This record gives sequence, C-alpha cells and structure tokens, in this order.
Amino acid sequence: MAYSTPPRFVIRTLVATLATVAFVLSAVLLVVTLNVQTSVRAGVVDRLKRVQGLLAELEKRRAQQLHAQVLMLAENSTLKAAVDTYHTELRTTNSAGRQDLLATIARELDKIAVRIEPDVLEVRSASGEVLGIAGRRAGEWPAFARVNAPRPDAEATFVTTPSGIFRLASVPVVLQGTELGTLSLANALDERYASEISDLSGAHTLILSDGHVVASTLPSDSLMGLKAEVVDAMAKADVVTLAGSEYAVRLLLHIPPQSSVSGINRGGAHVYVLDSIDASARPMIAAALRRMGWIALGAFTLAALASVWLSRTIARPIDTLSASLSNMAETRNFENPLTTGGDVLEVDALTITFNTMMQSVNAAENERLSAYVGTIRALALALDARDPYTAGHSERVSALSLAIGRCMWLDDAQLEVLRLGALLHDIGKIGISDHVLMKPGPLTAEEYEIIKQHPAVGARILRSVPFLEPHIPIVELHHERPDGKGYPHGLRGTEIPLVASIVHVADAFDAITSARAYRPARAAADGLRELWRCAGAQFDAEVVHALAKALPDNDRAHSFSNIASRPVPVPASVRALRA
Amino acid sequence: MFNRVPFRQLVTPLLVLGALAVVHVPDVRAARGYGRLTGVVHLVALSGTPLRSGAYPSRRVNPKTPDAAEIANVVVFVKDAPADPELTTTHASISQRDESFVPRVIAITRGSRVEFPNFDPYFHNVFSLSRALSFDLGRFRKGEKRERAFPHSGVVKVYCHIHSEMAATIMIFDHRLYATPASNGSFTIDAVPPGTYQLSAWHERIGETTKPIKVVVGENASVEFSLPVVEK
Repeated sequence: MAYSTPPRFVIRTLVATLATVAFVLSAVLLVVTLNVQTSVRAGVVDRLKRVQGLLAELEKRRAQQLHAQVLMLAENSTLKAAVDTYHTELRTTNSAGRQDLLATIARELDKIAVRIEPDVLEVRSASGEVLGIAGRRAGEWPAFARVNAPRPDAEATFVTTPSGIFRLASVPVVLQGTELGTLSLANALDERYASEISDLSGAHTLILSDGHVVASTLPSDSLMGLKAEVVDAMAKADVVTLAGSEYAVRLLLHIPPQSSVSGINRGGAHVYVLDSIDASARPMIAAALRRMGWIALGAFTLAALASVWLSRTIARPIDTLSASLSNMAETRNFENPLTTGGDVLEVDALTITFNTMMQSVNAAENERLSAYVGTIRALALALDARDPYTAGHSERVSALSLAIGRCMWLDDAQLEVLRLGALLHDIGKIGISDHVLMKPGPLTAEEYEIIKQHPAVGARILRSVPFLEPHIPIVELHHERPDGKGYPHGLRGTEIPLVASIVHVADAFDAITSARAYRPARAAADGLRELWRCAGAQFDAEVVHALAKALPDNDRAHSFSNIASRPVPVPASVRALRA
Repeated sequence: MFNRVPFRQLVTPLLVLGALAVVHVPDVRAARGYGRLTGVVHLVALSGTPLRSGAYPSRRVNPKTPDAAEIANVVVFVKDAPADPELTTTHASISQRDESFVPRVIAITRGSRVEFPNFDPYFHNVFSLSRALSFDLGRFRKGEKRERAFPHSGVVKVYCHIHSEMAATIMIFDHRLYATPASNGSFTIDAVPPGTYQLSAWHERIGETTKPIKVVVGENASVEFSLPVVEK
C-alpha cells in the first residue's frame, strides 16, 4: 500500500483558518456590495425624484417664458405693421404684389429670429394661412397643415410633427382691436434640449415619441434595440434596465397624443430623465473594496500568525513526544517513562497514557520472557532428568559458562545469551532414544553418529522459536573444536563463536567431574588437568584458562551453585527469571 | 352725446338746404355737364361675438379720449375713375395725440402733403412699409412735426415704431372723386362725369364694399352702403 506523507499540521491550520477568513470576508464583501447597491439605488431614485420636481418646475417656467416671449414678439411694431400692411394691401394687389408683402413680413420675422434664435417663428393670418416662417428649424415646420394654435391665455403646448416634438406658444397679433393673425414660437425638444436638461440635472435625458427615440444623451449602445416593454416599464417603474445597466427613471413630460389635425399629429411623446445606478454605485463599491482589501490583509495576517502559533503549541509537544518515542524505539529502552511537557493537557494525557501502557507492555513482556525461560528451563531439566547421571547437568553448565564468561569480561547481553544457550545446549538430545543416550557401555559408530546429530537437531528446534535465535550458535556449535575435528561442521579456531567454545569447555568439564554409569565422578582438579591437556586442540585454550580462574580455590567445590550466585550485572529481562 | 344730438338735428336741415342749393344753384361744372353722387353709409353690427381685443392691455397711460366714431374711418370713392389731369393737391394733417393717430383715416389727392404733429408729452415715430410709399420719418418730441408728400396713388398705412397699437391709413387718389362721410354717414361727391362707375366704401377693418352706379349729367345719383362694422 502506497503511503503518501500527510501535510504538516501547520499547513492544515493555515489552510483551515485562511479559508475561513476568506469565506467570512467574501460573505461580508457580498453583503457590503449588496448594501451599497441597495442604498445607492434608493439614493439615486430619491435624487432623481427631486431632480424631476425641479425640472418640472423649470419646464413650467420654460413654457411661461416661451409664452411671454411670443407675447412680446406679437407687439413688435414693425412685425405688426408688416402684417397689417399685408392685410390692407392684399385686397388691391396681384400675386406679385402679394409676394412683395410676404417678403416684407419675412424680413421682419428674420430680424427677430436673428436676435432670439428660435427653432421656429411663424406668423399666420387669421384664416390660418402661413404668412412667414423663420428660425433654425423653419424648414422642418409642417407649413402644409395648420397647427392647432392655442388661445393666447393658454400655456405653451406641444406639437408632435414628423420631424420632431416642439414646444409651441401662439398668440394673436392684434392691432387696434383687430386680430391680424397668429404669431407662434416653437422650440424643438431635440438633442440640444436633451443635453440642456442633462447639464442642468446631471442625469441623462431620453425623449421618446411613439416609442421611438427622438433625442437622448444616453450612450448610444444602451438604446440599441430598445424594447417596447422597456418603454412601457419606464412609464411605471422607478428603475429600468437598459443594455444590462440599471437606471433610475422619472417621467419629466408627457405629451398626450393629438388627434385633430392630420398630417402632423402622432402618438404621444415622453421626456424621461434617467440616472445610471451602476455609475453612481461604482465609486462607492470601489471604495468599499479598497477598505475591505486592507481589512482582508490584516485579517489574513492575523489568522496566519494565530494558526502558526496554535499549531506550534500542539505540534511542538507532539514533535517532542515523537522524538522521545523514536529515541525509545532506537535504544529499545522502554524502562524510563516519558516526561510530560506541561504545555498541552491532551498531549500530557497522551504521554501519561503511553507511559501506563508501556508499563503494562513491559510487564507483559517480562512475563512472556520469564514464561519462555521457564519453559526452556523445564525443557532442559526434563532432558537432564532422562538420565540420572546427567541430572542437573544443564544447570551446572549454564552456571559454569556464566562464570567463565564473567572471567572473560563478556557483557551482560552475551552473558544472558550464554546462560540460556548453555541451559539449552543439549536440547537436540531430545530426539535421541534412551537406548543410545543412556547406554552404559561404549557407543558403536552408528550410535555415535546419532549422538553427533544432536547439535543440528537442537539448532533446528530453536530455529522454530524466534526468541531463541541468539542461542542457536551455542546449541549448534558447542561440539566444534579449535583443531577442526569437532562436529557438526568442523569449524576451526576463531570460526567458532566464543560462547560456543565456552559452553564446549563447561560441558566437557561437567562431564568429567560428574559420575557416569560406567565411571565415578572425578575431582575438579582432575577435570581441569584433563582439559589443560587437550587445550588448543580440543578446547579453546583461553576458555580453559578462564575456567581455571573461575573455579574456586576449593577443589571440592564442584557444585557451582556458589559461583552462579555471585553478584554479576544481569540484564533486565533476566531479573524476572530470578524473581 | 349731449353735444351731438343738437348738432345732428342742426346738420340734417343744413344738408337738405345744401342739397337744394346744389340742385338749384347752377354750378360751373354742372353746367359743363357733370352729375353728382350722394348717399349714406350705415354701419351695421354683425351678429355674434365681437373680435377679441389685444392680448396685451394697451401700454397707454394717459386717459383716452373717446374714439372718433367708426364712420370717420370710412372713405367712399369712385373706384374706376380715370386719372384727373388737373389734380389739385392738398395739405392734410394727422395728429399724434393720446398715443393714437387722429384722424385714423384720411383721403388725399396724389402729390398732397401730410403733416404729423406730435401733441403727446413723449416721442413718436411715423413709418410705413406700404408699397405705395415706404418711409420712416424718425422720432420726434412733443411740439415737433414731420411732413411727407405722397407722390403715388394707393393705400399707405403708417405706424409708430414706439407704440405698436398706433396705426393710420392714408388713401391717395389720382382723382378727386372721393369723400369722407359726415358723422351721420351722408356723403356727396360733386362734379362726377357722367357714366357708369363702381362706387366703393372702404373701411380699415373690412376693406372695400363696391356698388355699381350710373351718373347722369345734371342729376343726383344716390347710393346707400351698409357696412358690417361694429361700433366700439
């Protein structure tokens, strides 16, 4: 199974806190943006309402002014003189004369038009015949049809013509109580008017006639494909959407459809003022974004610092703990309890729990070891018990090997290996029949071959128990001789492990100093002498030398119980055995 | 009215006497073979509402003297009279008084002169845009006057630049066969060559009203006009 390294704790906390902060900030930003949008929308709608009020008042003034202006113009003496002269002379003149008279009127109209620059200045006779037209847009004025001229006390009114919408004021031209005709002054609601309204209001202007754009200060793309439902919505709603942008909208003027005069009358016209909500909201949202940016920077920094600090308070004790644990695993020293850091309660609890657990694990391990050792010992005892002559042999070899080992300055681990290995060294004899093993007389060659198999058998038995593996060399090689004449492999000199040589010597010494069915026990001195004789060839000389040192001065003391009880450093695992 | 009633009562017998005198006293021209045109002009009100007055109230500040009777604004003339080679000129006057031209209508022979004295304590002006004669006499103060000869026949309307309500009509004829009715509407045109004519009564608001008439030497041809003019 592939194992991928998980991220460090600090990465986790960083990601978690920063993600949380980012989420919260996004939510706040969303709320702020919506809030700004809503309040700006309300503000723009409200502002436009006030603007509409002002503009409506202004429109009233415009109408009054237009009316006043045309009233003044109607009292222009030369214009009146021209019209009156026309009427007086028309009765006595031909068509050429009429043209002259009309030219006189046209000249007077032009003189006025030059000064006041109206869009249309028109004079008609009392019968409705057009006597003259002047002004910037005189050419577009529908002279072919009679404009329904309002009476002089009426406010200015509007006419919709094919060429545009006009605000119109008409008054009669009266001389000495006689109505000579009608003077009309008209100003178009055109682009110039729209931009004038826009300049005054700071909002956009849109003039629609029959749903068609007559004039507008809106960006041209926002009016592309202006739909009928949008036009309808403008008349009713406070806010409309044009080309994806929201506009507050107010109706400034409504010019109702006119029906009486054919040729010039169209459907109704509307003048709207519009103010872009988006354009107003944009700077406020930008400002909010800038502020949010600074807040976000601070929040992210604080969150990062806090999460790093938090993760360190947790990760550091854990790191310490894990370092202690790995140290423990490396040294295999499970005896010392871990120390608590005192930083984090949970980590300390973990340490304490671990220590408790390790105590019980240690206890269990010791129990297991002692159980093993007990079993091995029982096995060795059982083996020895098969032959009354070899009773206690394994115990004695073990004790003697320890004594030798100590004299050779072996360390505790080697001594432990030696002690158990010596106990078990003849375990392979378990498979040899009593007939061969306890034969009183000399062995035949076949029998001796059987006997020689016991180290290999013992090694095979031990191999099945992993715990006993360190002792295999002792069991397998305790009959090898430095001269290579030993069995089972015929190893030589330094090829033979020291522990095996020690057990070999101890085994031989115990065999010599023990009684056998075919001979009595010999003294320790005799045994040592015998060993010295064969030292170098059959026995390792150094080991024999160590044996000599290890033996107590008292030759009688061939039971080595006193030797074994001498105080020696013993590994922990063996302490349980003693207990 | 108090004055007019005895005046009218006085004038009517005088006119009758005058007419008898013309008939019975032999005239030089009559002797040469002329006829005479007499008649009456009646101003009759039209049914319906009168025309609307000015949109602006007049800027006139002085108390206004009563308008001359509308009959004074009527001129009766022979429309198709031939040009008179022995035409004599006259010297007429139109005053500027109380922001009005007084009288408002005069008739003169071609080549006659008209003077315009100013009696108002403010400036006046006289100008005309008429084809018969266009002129501008400029502005002049009280006590001053301007004069102008009218060398072409036709109608000349004169106005004041300063006061747009002021207007007067000067009718210039190539002959002397015209008359201004008296306040009772009667008029007489003497020394009319015999023949059939178109006799016109002209009023500034309604223009001409023409009737055919036959003039016989030594006889009195009578005609009666009814003009639809509302008395103000």
